[in-house]
Parts: sequence; C-alpha cells; structure tokens
Amino acid sequence: MNSAYKKEIRYTLVFSALLLICGHLGLLFVAFPGLQNKMVMGFPSQYIVPIVFGWLVLMVVVGFQAKLTNDLDDEIEELNAGLSETVE
Amino acid sequence: MEHEKWVLEDPMLGMIFVGASFVFFYLIGWYSQKAAKSSTDYWTAGRSIGSITNGLGMASSYMSLATFMGVTALILKLKVPFVYMWIQFALSIPLITLWYGTPLRRMGAFTPAHFVRERYGLRTSYVTVVFMILIMVMYALGQMIGVAKVFEMLFGINYNLALICGGALIVGYVTIGGMYGTSYNAAFQMILMGVAFVVPLGAIMKAMGGTGWYFPPLLYSDMVPAMLEAVPDFFDMKYGFKWYLSLIPCFTLGAMGLPHLGMRVYTSSNLKSARGAMVWFTFFCGIVFCSTYTMGFSGVYFQATSGSAIAPTDFDKITLILNSVYNPAWVLAFVIAGAIAAGLSTISANLMAIGAMIAQDIIATIKPDLSDKTMKVIGYLAIAGGGATSILIALNPPDFLVVSILWAFGLAGVTMAPLVMLGVWWKPANRYGATTACLVSGLTYIVVAPYFFPSIVVGGGLEAKVGMTGSLLCVPLCFFLLTTVSMITNKIPALMNRFDYQKDHVLIDKIHGWADYSEERYNSNTAGIIIAAVSLFFCIYAVLPGGW
Repeated sequence: MNSAYKKEIRYTLVFSALLLICGHLGLLFVAFPGLQNKMVMGFPSQYIVPIVFGWLVLMVVVGFQAKLTNDLDDEIEELNAGLSETVE
Repeated sequence: MEHEKWVLEDPMLGMIFVGASFVFFYLIGWYSQKAAKSSTDYWTAGRSIGSITNGLGMASSYMSLATFMGVTALILKLKVPFVYMWIQFALSIPLITLWYGTPLRRMGAFTPAHFVRERYGLRTSYVTVVFMILIMVMYALGQMIGVAKVFEMLFGINYNLALICGGALIVGYVTIGGMYGTSYNAAFQMILMGVAFVVPLGAIMKAMGGTGWYFPPLLYSDMVPAMLEAVPDFFDMKYGFKWYLSLIPCFTLGAMGLPHLGMRVYTSSNLKSARGAMVWFTFFCGIVFCSTYTMGFSGVYFQATSGSAIAPTDFDKITLILNSVYNPAWVLAFVIAGAIAAGLSTISANLMAIGAMIAQDIIATIKPDLSDKTMKVIGYLAIAGGGATSILIALNPPDFLVVSILWAFGLAGVTMAPLVMLGVWWKPANRYGATTACLVSGLTYIVVAPYFFPSIVVGGGLEAKVGMTGSLLCVPLCFFLLTTVSMITNKIPALMNRFDYQKDHVLIDKIHGWADYSEERYNSNTAGIIIAAVSLFFCIYAVLPGGW
C-alpha cells in the first residue's frame, strides 16, 4: 500500500474530526458544564467560542484542507505518470 | 395583548426594489441560457465556474430565506440552542468536498443519485431518487413559505395570493435560466443578500445603542449585560447531551446528502477551483451566519424591552420587523429584495436538483436514446412541476418555515449520505446493502416522525418535528444495515454473480484518481465491522429514554 493512499485516508479522517470539532463545540460545553459562563470577548464562553470556531477557526482548517488535498492530488498524478512510463 | 400588524408602509418602494432585482435576475438567466449549448451545460454550467463565483454560489444556496427569516424566528423561540444548530451548517461544503465532492466530479456525476446509479445499480438509484425528490420538495416548501411571507408584508395581500404570485415568479425564472443562470445569479444574489442583511443590521444595532455597529457579526458584547437583565436565560444551553449530539447525524450528515449543495462542487472548472471555492464558502457563510445570530439576539432583546407584541405567526418576519422599526422605508424595501434573493437562490438550487434527478436519473435511464432537445424540455417540465408541488403544499404551512427544511435535512442524512460516503470509500458496500439500508432507514425515519403516526414517535417536542430524534436513530441504522447486509451478501456467490461487482470496485479506485487498480485499497472488512458496531451502539443509545 503506497504512502499517498495512506495519506488520503489519514487526511480524510483527521480533517473530518477537525471539521466536526469546529462545528460542534456546543457538545463540549454541555458535556462539561464547568466551562460555561466564563466571559470571553464580553460574551459567555458557551456562546462565543462555538461561534468563533464555527467561522474563523473553520476557515483556517478548510484552508489547510484545500492546500494538503491539492498537494495529495498532485502526488497521486505523479504516481500515475510514473506508472504509465513503466508500462511504456 | 393585541398583536401589531407588520406591513411595509409604502409598497411602491418595495415593488421598485424587488422588480428591479427580478429584471436583473431574469436578464442574467436569459443570457446564461443562451450560453448553454447542451443539456449537460444546462445542469452543470459547462463545468466552468471560477472559485470565487462558485464560493459565493455555494454560500448563497445556504443563505436561504431560512437564514433571513426562519433562523431568527427560532432564535426568538429557542434562544441560544438554535445558534448551535446553525453553526454546524458551515461544515457542509468542506465535508462534501472531502468525502465525495471531488471523486464525484472526477466521475462526471450530476448528483449523488447519479453516483448511486453507477455504484449500486438502477434499482437502488430509483429508491434514492424518490427520497431525494421528497427532500427537495420539502426544502423548497420552506423557501416558498418565506417568499409568501415577504410578499404578504410587501403588498399587504393575504398569504395564499402572496404564495402563488411569488412562487410563480420564481419558478419561471429558474426554468428559464438553468444552472448557468443559477450559478451566476447565485453569486450576485449572495452579494445582494449579504449587503441587505449585514449593513441595515449595523444601523439597527446603532439605534439600539450598540457601539460595535460597524461590524455586526461579532461586536455586540456591550449589549450582553442589558440582554442578561432583560432575558436572563438567553445564553442557557437548556437541552441535554443527546440534543446536541443529534445535530451531527441530522444536519451535518444531512447536509452532506443534499444534492443541490454537491452540485456546486460539480460545476467548478477544476478540482483545485472547487477546493478554493470551499474556502470562500466558509468565509461568506461565516459573515452572514454570525450576522444572523446578531439579528436573532437583537430580535429577542427588542421583543423583551420594546413592549411591541409580535404574534408567533410573525416570528419569521423579525428581520423585516426590526428594519421597519429602526430603519427608513427604503432600507426595508432593500432588505425585502435581499430576502427574495435569498429565497430565490435556494429555490433555484432545489428545483435544479429536482429537474436533474427526474431528467437525468430517472427518464434518461429508462429512455437513454432521447434527443438532447427532448431532455431539455423534460428538464423544464420537471423543474416547473417541482415548483408547483411545493407551492401547493405551502398552502397549508407548518408554524415555522424552517421546520420542513430541517426535517428534509434529516431525511437526506438518513437515505443518501451513508450510501454515498461508504460507496466512495468502502468497496465491500454493495447494492443489496444499499437498497435495504436506504429503504428501511428512510421509511423508519418517516414512521417515527410526529406527522404520520403520532403514537410511534422517538422523543418529542420540536426536536422530533425537525427530525433530530429520528436521525439519531435512523442514520446509524442506515450505516449498520449497509455494512452488515453488504458483508453478509458478499459471502453469497448466488447473489454476487448477478452483477459485475468487480466493475464497482474498479470505479472506486478510478474516482479517487488512481490510474491503476489495487484490490487492497478501500477494502477493509475490519473497518466495516467497526462501523457496524459503533452504529449499533448509537441505535440503542437513540431509543433509550432521557438525555434530551
């Protein structure tokens, strides 16, 4: 099994986890109520932290996702090109 | 207490703004239609849309009337928990692109149903298409209700007349424009609705005494102490762990099953452009979503402090009501044009998906030798028929327009997302598993909803109405059935010899971009067993009482 394949699986699982964390931080606050009602940027933590993660942090994660998966596509294309040269 | 009647004082202003925007939409649609050389161009815009235009288009299919009206209404009713429900919708396009958007684009599929046909065969695709059409009609229904409410406020006419006039205008526009029209128009509509939503919101905040009015999405913390005094429970999380957990199967996976969102990935000029569009999508989505929460916050504060009585049936109009109270009439007229653009862009995407499914996934498979011209005519009829159906159902609407939309998300999560996710990433998934999983879990979701058999409901309250309780049971059920039935039937040669399963396996390597075939890739039975075990655990957890 080549490294590009393993990378593809790893990226999919890791980025899925990161995306889910960014969009579902409410779960953290309901599971650990002690984290609630700390004031962050003038808002209760359970309100503003999920909002900021759901927008700004998500944008950063998605930026990395786009960059790394584009690089992976290039890697797979290079492998394919190498394969067709071998066949020729 | 007597409720106030909210209508635009000067309907002429509203008509000028809405009329001008419609003329513009029709012109873009007409011009785009001329550019569509074939029926494929009509559905996918020639696969030539750039990343910023596509990012705006992706965001605009989400910036529906639900964002403008439904969300703020439910923030008024549920307060902060509804915000958590909405935040996660920004995950949809990144997750779709990550899990199956790019493979489906490589394959040249129009819709997830098209993928299901290639991967699992015709019979399975017919089952999924029937569910998909129901989903899209329910989704468009929520938008139609919103359009009717805007027209009702704009012209002071009754709901039914507003629904028929507004609905007919929109269905006509979509039928004429095709995907070229919707993609280019969606980008324009996203800008229009963004400006129409965010800028007047700044003025509302300023009038309410907020000092962060120049950046409404995040700068309103100075209003928090006054809010806590007026509505002490505004920031309470209220619900239990299950409520928040069910957001994942119902809405996050639900959005992944929606065909009209995936279609935006397929219209990109190339895969890198599609991924670039995904970043733009999160940016645009974030601005408008965060502003929506601010609008909901302002609405709750207004209701608690102003002494103005808003009837529950007018909760959907809170954005318009705040603008009518705090801003001049021409601003309200502009906001109404933005709201119409919001509804228009989403209905366009919904109806295009219905048209693509009926024309490409049903008719084209039954009669593959039909001419391109006939296929285009069938597409027009399918779009118009889907629009007319949603208008007819909207004549008897639910209390809140967003309820039908959210229920549709759940059904998409139950019937489509697991089939496509495992279809792309797990070779052992086969047509027997897919058909069984889609049919059983889809019908179970419908049965346990409070609308059809009120005595057989999982959970209760609003979470049952919007499909959260049903999804927490039925999405894992679909994964469980798909994995177990597939693994069992893969061991029965008499069943597997009925079709060329090797061809399905080769397809998976191909759509991931591999030029060669390897039996080992995407073929782990251990992964199947783990998915089945985890899914079974969540099925049991879902039916256990309490936790909501």
